[in-house]
Amino acid sequence: MANQVVYSSSPEDFYYMDVNVPCQAACPAATNIPAYIRALFEGRYDDSYSINHMANLLPGVLGRICSRPCEDKCRHGEPELGRSVNICHIKRAAADLRRKGAPPEPGPLASLGKKVAVVGAGPAGLAAAHDLATLGVGVTLYEAFEKGGGMLRYGIPEFRLPREILEEEIDHIVSTGAVLKTGVRVGIDVAVEDLLKEHDAVLLAAGCYRSLRLGLPGEDLPGVYPGLEFMMQVCAEKPPKVGKRVLVIGAGFTAFDCARSALRLGAGDVTICLRRTEEDLAVTKDEVIETKTEGVKIASLMLSRRILGKERVERVEFVRTRAAEEKGKGKGEVVAIEGSEFVLPAHAVIVATGQRPEPLRLEFGDKGEEVLKSDPDSFRSLMKGLYVAGDYLTGPSTVIQAIGMGRRAAEKIIRDLTGRPFREKAVRMEEAEITGRKRAWDYVPRQEMPTVRPVQDRFRTPRIEVETGFSPEQAQEESKRCYLCHLHYEIDISRCIYCRYCIDVAPRDCIKLVKEVKTNEAGAITGLTETTDWAEVNAIMIDNSRCIRCGECMRVCPVNCISVTRVELTERMAQGGDHV
Amino acid sequence: MSEEHFIVIGNGPAGHHAAVTLRLEAPGARITLVSKEPRGCYRPHLLPKWISGNIQEEALYVCPVEDYRKMGIKFRSGQKVVALNPVQRELVLDHKEMLRFSGLILALGGKPRIPEPLRIFKDLMFTLKTLEQARVWREEVSHVDSVLMMGGDLTSLAVTKALLSLGKKVVFMVTEEAFWPLRWSLSLFEEMSHRLRQKGVAVLVDQRLKGISRKGNRDYEVQVGCETVRVGMIGAFFGLRPDVRFLAGSGLRLDRGILVDEYLNTGFKGVYATGDCAQIYHPGLRDYWVSVGHDNALELGRTAALNLVGNTVKAEGAGKCVFEVQGIRMNTSWWTEF
Repeated sequence: MANQVVYSSSPEDFYYMDVNVPCQAACPAATNIPAYIRALFEGRYDDSYSINHMANLLPGVLGRICSRPCEDKCRHGEPELGRSVNICHIKRAAADLRRKGAPPEPGPLASLGKKVAVVGAGPAGLAAAHDLATLGVGVTLYEAFEKGGGMLRYGIPEFRLPREILEEEIDHIVSTGAVLKTGVRVGIDVAVEDLLKEHDAVLLAAGCYRSLRLGLPGEDLPGVYPGLEFMMQVCAEKPPKVGKRVLVIGAGFTAFDCARSALRLGAGDVTICLRRTEEDLAVTKDEVIETKTEGVKIASLMLSRRILGKERVERVEFVRTRAAEEKGKGKGEVVAIEGSEFVLPAHAVIVATGQRPEPLRLEFGDKGEEVLKSDPDSFRSLMKGLYVAGDYLTGPSTVIQAIGMGRRAAEKIIRDLTGRPFREKAVRMEEAEITGRKRAWDYVPRQEMPTVRPVQDRFRTPRIEVETGFSPEQAQEESKRCYLCHLHYEIDISRCIYCRYCIDVAPRDCIKLVKEVKTNEAGAITGLTETTDWAEVNAIMIDNSRCIRCGECMRVCPVNCISVTRVELTERMAQGGDHV
Repeated sequence: MSEEHFIVIGNGPAGHHAAVTLRLEAPGARITLVSKEPRGCYRPHLLPKWISGNIQEEALYVCPVEDYRKMGIKFRSGQKVVALNPVQRELVLDHKEMLRFSGLILALGGKPRIPEPLRIFKDLMFTLKTLEQARVWREEVSHVDSVLMMGGDLTSLAVTKALLSLGKKVVFMVTEEAFWPLRWSLSLFEEMSHRLRQKGVAVLVDQRLKGISRKGNRDYEVQVGCETVRVGMIGAFFGLRPDVRFLAGSGLRLDRGILVDEYLNTGFKGVYATGDCAQIYHPGLRDYWVSVGHDNALELGRTAALNLVGNTVKAEGAGKCVFEVQGIRMNTSWWTEF
């Protein structure tokens, strides 16, 4: 007989998920990470890919370039537990190892008779278009460039993201029914006001394509390139000449892409110049290591002051920086150390310090900036029917954030258009068996992504993908490491005989003698007050935020009073009764 | 009554000296010295002399381990700190024990650094920081006639001296990375090369390591630029990388080492860093640096301890071997002593 499945939308259960499945809670698209890792471990590659695709739509892309907020929260990375699971590269393995072909899609539902224009076919626009189309909305996706993909195509170099992977996953999205119109510049070729007349709603997700300037003397000298423009020229295979010595000013993924691209254009001495330190970088550790391995230097605690040269850039003057006086605050701002000026020579300088959106061009009046002041929860702008999402709303974000936001915007738009919700989050609970995960797997070393070696081979064919992907064996080995935090272990205290065998075998302080249970307003458990006085013990409880799901407690329990439930944050069609 | 508990992590010259200074300055305090090495404090700068047989092993040690008990310092050897919470003032050892402190001195030392582009060759290279590594050097050197030294840091030149005294042929590949915080220049390279050649060392002009092939037991073919060198052993001396990885996410400001102010304070009350894990701004260099050299380590260890017990002593940037290069006064003059 099949196990009973219960869906809950109680705040108490959502709270539990936030605390106890930290990887999924950290993912802006709420990808069910333990489930796809388990599927991959069991060799169900198609399922693993589909579980990803349901939440984040671009698993093959994200498995290569995601910023990986999940890995920062992975329980395996807690101080005494080693290193976080290589979640991102397991995602890529699912994409690499599955059978080729489009993943299953829900819907599309019957036509709702509504039309929405989505402006920008980057991650946010694609995600919104996908969700709207699969729910029965007629979607037209307007893209200013020749092809869809936005920053994925025009800002990320091919050696990190092969274009055939991107093409395939964009095709999957567009095949859900959205009509992609490329080469259309909204605000120039077609007016926003006209789109609003022709559609029930317009979503602006046009990204950030205007590079920020440093505002320094000499910034307009030949040989000084804004980072995004530089990358766009590289991606268009029309790169500028950089010379031998290149300084890259900036600390984000774009700065790193510029530096690595400069090497592939023949530069011999490339330095990324940071205001703060390597420790403060938002790019992944893997990215830092590969960048250094290729020969890029990373110099920290320096602030550019002037760009110097006669006919073109020749050098840059910097000053040293130090942390501002907010002691103990972690990532603080920095201030210049006066009298610490120094100069570095350069044949080219790439300024990759961020981007902002192009101002919105409206036919009547100059209200573009004001219109963009949108509510980040409803995505509504000040103009009726006009919505804003993605980087165009928030400024530069990550691909996974943009996807999550695009999907949420689609849900809000469809609620506004129809007066009812279509999708809702729910916590799915199902009785489960002990998994057979072995304690020894906690000590399996993290599998690192293989890369093209020797490094010189990367430069011979600059478009060659540097990361070559896990083998099936490596992928399975890495997937073993996941603790499977979506399994909830619980002691039935009405049956417990307080023998404490479970406490004896617990690998860390995860089973507790409890005097008092603290709860929040929603009824969720927020803390346990432990006691060592036997007379005060009211319960023996598993602290799931400390539990590493080894199953030892279940194995030794003489009265079988410990059960396992698989709990997953899922999305389902709205069950009604929650009209807005 | 709450008792002061000072912990020093690291028992190299800086850590040892910090612990001894704390004992003198705070007679009533509990002092714990945590060291991942399974032995008492020794003088790492003498390891090259021990490799060449110029001194006995006993001469390496600063004091017998029993002396810590006599001094009232609890010495925890062979224990590694894996996490630090400077706000809660607690640290976690790798066997899961938690220690609480009222004051902390981080004297973590450094690990031999191999630049990322060369890491692919790391299994073919020998480094030197610990007594264990020195034992390996002693054994290997006895079987080879020639050694390729890569880098150019302080230790590399001491080892070169030791190898020359043993009658070995030394080939040197001077690389830019070994000179931080000095900015690399042709004149710096020429000065060092000149000094090396005067002592009979062959210096490679090219710095582009293209490949290393292991041709047999203690037989390596190294391709540097257009040259091919055949040696019995390869040493990697690119300076030390402060051993601070476990502090990521602790709230301490990290760069190459732990960023500290001129009093060696980390930004957290009662938490100091010293020795070659402390990164400090040096006005003379107009750059940050970490201390090199035994004498500097002793001085910095003492300074951190004095400040932990309430003094305000500035860490001196200029040490005992101040010299000038490119108009900058500095005390990282290792090659001029060669």
